[in-house]
Parts: sequence; C-alpha cells; structure tokens
Amino acid sequence: MADLAGETMNGGGGGGGEIKVGVGGKTRVGEEGGVGVGAKIRVGEEGRVGVGGKTRVVDLRSDTLTYPSLGMKTAMMEAILGDDVLGEDPTVNALQERVARLLGKESAAFLPSGTMCNLIAVLLHCDRRGGEVLVGDNCHIYRWEQGGIAQFGGVHSKSLKTHPDGTFSLTELRQAVRADNIHFPRPSLVCVENTHNMEGGKVLPLSWLDELSVTCRELGLPLHMDGARLLNASVSLGVSPERIVRDFDSVTICLSKGLGAPVGSVLVSSAAFIERAKRLRKGLGGGMRQSGVLAAAGLYALQHIYPRLSEDHKHVQIIAKAVNECVGGAVTCDPSGAHTNILMLTCDPARITPAQFCTRMEKVGEGEEAALGERVSCRLISINDTTVRLVTYKDISLDDVEALVKKLVYVIKGIA
Amino acid sequence: MYREDVLCRSILGNIPGRQTRQYQSPSHTPTTMTDFKGVVVDLRSDTITKPSDGMKKAMMEALVGDDVYREDPTVSELEKRMAECTGKEAALFVPSGTMGNLISVLGHCEHRGSEVLLGDLAHIFLYEQAGMAQLGGIQPHIIPTNPDGTFDVDEIPVRLRYEDVHYPRTCLVCLENTQNVCGGKVVPLHWIDKVGEVAESVGLPVHMDGARVMNASVASGVSLERILRVCQTASICFSKGLGTPVGSVIVGPEKFMYKAIRLRKVLGGGMRQAGMLAAAAIYSLDHMVHRLAQDHHHAQLIAKAINEEKSRNVTCHPDDVDTNIIIVNLNPETVTPDQFCERLLMVSEDEINETGDGGVLVKVMPWTTTTVRFVTHLDASLDHIQAVITKLKYVIRELDSIH
Repeated sequence: MADLAGETMNGGGGGGGEIKVGVGGKTRVGEEGGVGVGAKIRVGEEGRVGVGGKTRVVDLRSDTLTYPSLGMKTAMMEAILGDDVLGEDPTVNALQERVARLLGKESAAFLPSGTMCNLIAVLLHCDRRGGEVLVGDNCHIYRWEQGGIAQFGGVHSKSLKTHPDGTFSLTELRQAVRADNIHFPRPSLVCVENTHNMEGGKVLPLSWLDELSVTCRELGLPLHMDGARLLNASVSLGVSPERIVRDFDSVTICLSKGLGAPVGSVLVSSAAFIERAKRLRKGLGGGMRQSGVLAAAGLYALQHIYPRLSEDHKHVQIIAKAVNECVGGAVTCDPSGAHTNILMLTCDPARITPAQFCTRMEKVGEGEEAALGERVSCRLISINDTTVRLVTYKDISLDDVEALVKKLVYVIKGIA
Repeated sequence: MYREDVLCRSILGNIPGRQTRQYQSPSHTPTTMTDFKGVVVDLRSDTITKPSDGMKKAMMEALVGDDVYREDPTVSELEKRMAECTGKEAALFVPSGTMGNLISVLGHCEHRGSEVLLGDLAHIFLYEQAGMAQLGGIQPHIIPTNPDGTFDVDEIPVRLRYEDVHYPRTCLVCLENTQNVCGGKVVPLHWIDKVGEVAESVGLPVHMDGARVMNASVASGVSLERILRVCQTASICFSKGLGTPVGSVIVGPEKFMYKAIRLRKVLGGGMRQAGMLAAAAIYSLDHMVHRLAQDHHHAQLIAKAINEEKSRNVTCHPDDVDTNIIIVNLNPETVTPDQFCERLLMVSEDEINETGDGGVLVKVMPWTTTTVRFVTHLDASLDHIQAVITKLKYVIRELDSIH
C-alpha cells in the first residue's frame, strides 16, 4: 500500500478520494516558482496511488498539459492589447500574420481551440446544404469533435479507411467521390490530419500529400489539414510547414499543445476565407476581446518552444527503445512507428489490459521505491482494447523520461 | 419607430484612424489621429477595457491545469465562486457571452422544433448572428420590448405554443439585464419575479442574458442571487465593465452544466490552461465590482451635462440612464448619428483655443437612425469624462448655433 502522508509540494494535499498535487515535485521547483498543476488522482483498483509530495509524477496523458513558462507569462502580461472583436488587438493581429507567413498563406484567425478551427473550416468549405466531407475514419474531426460538423453544419461525413501510417487510399477516395446523383450528398471537402494522432503521431508522407492534392484538384475538391501538431511533422521531416501545406486550402494549427501556449489555435487560409471564418467565429461564440494576452503566448511559443520540439521526439525514441528491449514483454511498441512526440504501446490483453496497465503505471507498488530508487507515478491514457498512448512535451524533462523508462521496464518485467 | 430603427441598423465597427470628412460647418479642419496631441476618450463600449496591473499579476500567479480535463484549479475556483454568489449549483467558464447564451439556449432546447420567447431588442436576437437558428435549428419568437427593457408578461401565455402539429414547441424564456439597446436599463426585480412566476406556471425555464448583470446589481443594490432567483440559468460577462481580457461564466443547475460542458467542447470553446483568464475574473470579483458605481456616476454626469444644454438637437435625460450606458437622441432633421460621431472625432482650431489642452476626441457608437450610444467604463477616468463633457458642450452649442 502506498503512503499518502508525505509532505506535499506545490499543490495542496487533501483527504478523501481526490488529491491535488504539483506535477513531478522535484522537477517543478525552479524558474517557474513552483507553479503546481492541479491534478485529480483516481483511486486505483488495488488501492490509493501514492502521491505524497515526494512522488515524481510524470504525466504523459497529452501535450495539451503544457503550461506557460515564466518567460511566456511575462510576454503575455507585456502584450499590447485591444478589442479583437473590433479587429483592434495588435498582438492578435501580429500572431495571425506570423502564422500565415509561416504557412505561406494569406491570412489567419486566432481561435480558442483546434476544434473550433476544424469546425469553422468544414462549415465554410461545406456551406451549401447537403454537403459531404471525406475524412479518415480514425481522425480527430470524425471521432473526437462530438460530430460538431453534423450537429451544427448539417455536414455528412464519409469516412475512408485509415492506414497505419495515417494515410488513406486515394483509390478509395476517388470511388467515394460520387457523381452528381439525387441519392448522394454533395462531396465538398477532403480532410487529412498531420501528424495523425490516433495512429501514433504519424507524419504523413510528403509524396502522399502531393498525390492527394493532384487527385483532389482533378476531383474539384478543396483540402483542409487538421495540423494540430503540424509543427511536429515539420520538425520530424525537416521540411518547412509552408511546403507541407502548400496545396492545402485551409489549415488548423494548435498553439496549446506541444508549443506550450495556454490557450488557442490558428486557422490559416486565404484572406477571403479568413474573413468568413472570423464571422463564423463570432457566431459560434469564439469572439474574444483582449485575446492578445493569449496571442502573445503563441508568439512566444513560435519563437522559443517550436525550436525545441525535436527534443520531445527524442524522448519518445528513448522510451520506445527501452520498451522494445523488454523482449517477450506483455507490452510492446514499434520505435520506427513513432515519428514524433506520441508513442502507442500495445498490450497483450490476455496478460494485461490497457486500463490495468495504466492503473499499474500510476500506482507506486510495494517494493517499487526500493527497486527504482524513487517513487514514480506515470499517467498514460488507455485508447482502446489493446493500446495505451503516451505523449511527451516540454514539461517532461530528460530526468522524467529516465524515471519513466525505469518504471516502464520494471512494470513490464513484473507482468506475467 | 424605435424598434424599426434598431432592426434596420447595424452597429458600425472600427472608427479610429479614419480620415474624417468635412463636417457641415466650413470652419472645421479634419483631424487625423496621428497629428492629434490632445485627449482621446473611447466610449464605444465597455468591452475595450484592459486588464490592470493588479489583474495581470493575478493572471501571472495563477495555478493552471487543463480545463478540458476539468483540472484547472483556478477555473474551478472561479466557477465555484460564481455558483455561490449567484445561488446556483454550478458554473462554467466560457470564452464569450455569445457562447454563454448560445450554450444556454441550446442546452434548454435540445429537441428539434423548439422555440424561444425573448424580447425583440434582446442581444441574443439582434447581435448573436442568429446563432440559435443557425447552429441550433431553434426559432426565436420575439415580444415587443418596452423602453424600460421589459416586455409584457401577459404575452408569455398568449404566445406560448400549445401542442399542435403546426407549431414548434416553446422551450425557454429569455431576459436581458441590463438591457443594452434600451440604454443599459436595470429591469425591475418585481418584473423578473413575475416573468419567473408565469414561466413556471406554464412549465418554462428562464435564462437571463446577464452580460451586465453586475451593473444591475450595483445600481439597484440587489444581490445577484436575488436578481437571478427565478432564472434557471444566466450568462454573465467578465470582459466588459469588470475589465478582464476574455470570458464569461454561465451559472445554473449541476445537471445543466454537464450539458453545457459538452456544448462548450463541441462549439470549440474548450480551452486548456484557461486559469490565467479565470484568475482575471476572480480578481475582478474582488476588486472591480464595487467600482462599477463610478461608471454609473460618470454616465450620470454626461447625461446631466447634455441635459443642461437644453439643446434642440442633442438630448438625453439623466432619468433614462440607469447604469453605464447613455443613449443620446439626435434631431433627425439636423444631424445624423454618423455625422455626430464624426464630429466628435474632429477638432477645429477655434475649439482648441476655446477649450484648451490640445482638444478632445471622443469615440462613440452610432446606435439607431436617430441615436448614439456612450458607454462608460474603468478606462475612462473622471478626467476623461470631464474632457468628454467639455467636448460635448462645445459641439452641442456649435450645432445649436447652426440649426
């Protein structure tokens, strides 16, 4: 049984089922002045998770957990502000210009989330009733945005089978784009996701993107890229973001994930499209006022955090290799399939289910502290019946990665 | 006549920096912003308020987490405080009042074929891009609004739809407090209670668009909890008079808030480390509510000053000003709202000589075909207000001398 009594750092300790902790006690004190990340720790089946202050918590549930550094916050507070609904916030305007330039497009709109970027893009491309969007069946827009495009836009989704590399068949695409027929919705847009989250942060091959764009041009269909993690793709490929999205009519890019800003994403496209996007943004309730405070974080992120994304990728490789070296383990992975900052671990469900594995990784078991030399609790996400996902990001240090690796190996070896 | 004016008119956007056209009188020289050395006072809206140093410090120091996972402790604290001070079970932080209202309407009207009863001058009806219809497939059913911001309560049972294959189903009544278009009017408490009573008797919930309900509370001396007693849900803005950079809060029952969280996510309002924004809102609860009385006082000063001129052309009565919004009436035969606004953005040499200090420019919004709206707020100090008054008196006298 783990012990709860240890001194707490950064977050308040609490009794009962929910405990708030600072993330990774030892690594959190520093320039950020001990900003704690409040986190609820679930009670595991085998007992309470030990989260007294001396436990290192390595939270790999998502890169959305990135929190703003002192430098970023300072930039936010020093930003010149205005009312962005009136188009008068100079910092928002600067961010929009910067991102548009980065992607080689005319214009951009700063929005509260990637979900809103995608929603707006689809609704604008498919603005005639009876429209249809062609999407991969494992993409975020199709699976993780609550069907918003149908709910609010009346847009039908035609899903295409996603390949493990994040692509789909262009033959299947051609077959799916049907001729004008009274039975059929009107194909209006093709969407891709890069990096592909659920396929493990896969970078879409540039050659496939180029072929796709030729196909879509022939079919007369616009292209939207859900590039929530586009910059991870760019860094991994060593290809500029501009080149990657060259043939895309609109692109979503998130600032609040690996780039570390607290809030926000950017929708990028032509000037005319973005004007319409800002209008729909207002209708959806995304019109913010002095959002320059948030945009300033985005500008800071592009300058200071973007250049270090490859470190997150390296960390994933370290973890993947270590798991891979546990031959015969119940949990396996493919290092070559981990292109960026996401790693999918495959569990043999006969030996351990993803849910059980996640619980086990979070718990500090008996004898573990002695074996590892410290108390380590790792938070991962169970994706489906066989898969666990972990995501690295700027607030996961090399120290954290090494602790995670120790724990992973220890746990995997302990599974029958 | 008033109603048609508003429905025909859209609010002008950005005025600054515009080269002003030659006004009626030949004695004026147009002024560009870059040349101007005097005072510029922006009274277009209280949405332009900027965060103070104290507020920014609170934002910097906030503990944050991922609010989509509901792990941001500062957002949680704000929501808890808002629930408490409004007497509701729960609250939810959202990026804007528009989203707050949209989520509330969609949350109350989940079934296809719904209809909402609301005032014909309501912000939800006029200025939210018909979101409930556009995105929710919900029909707004408008009731004529009285100058005091209310509508006739007896209209509710009259307009309520009974079950019939021709009819949509009424699912909600919406109120607005303070009522913006009517001039920041504090709707009477007894009226709110009556609406609640009638709505309840016919099985309808009530939602309040309380974008400026804090102004209503301060002006009337009635607590938020009391004002909102009969309202199941309410949307309350922090980015207006309270001065935060971004955000509003919805309050209501716990079960409703679960629906609201889902709606917020699907609309794209799920923000991550939003605690920085919530910290500003918490700061405003502690420091910025009571000072709203100053904005109301400033609005009174402006209204009184205009009234004292007893002008044929520009009128306003202090009794019509409840809070921080002033609707100024213009004589349609002599000056249009656009012209009046433009004149306020110009200075002549004579004017500078007479008023001194390099002159004053005032930014305000043309409102209807015959009115202009002024909104006081925390970034317009007493000095600024006095400068506005100086300018207004000059311009009014000038107008009166010509017409």
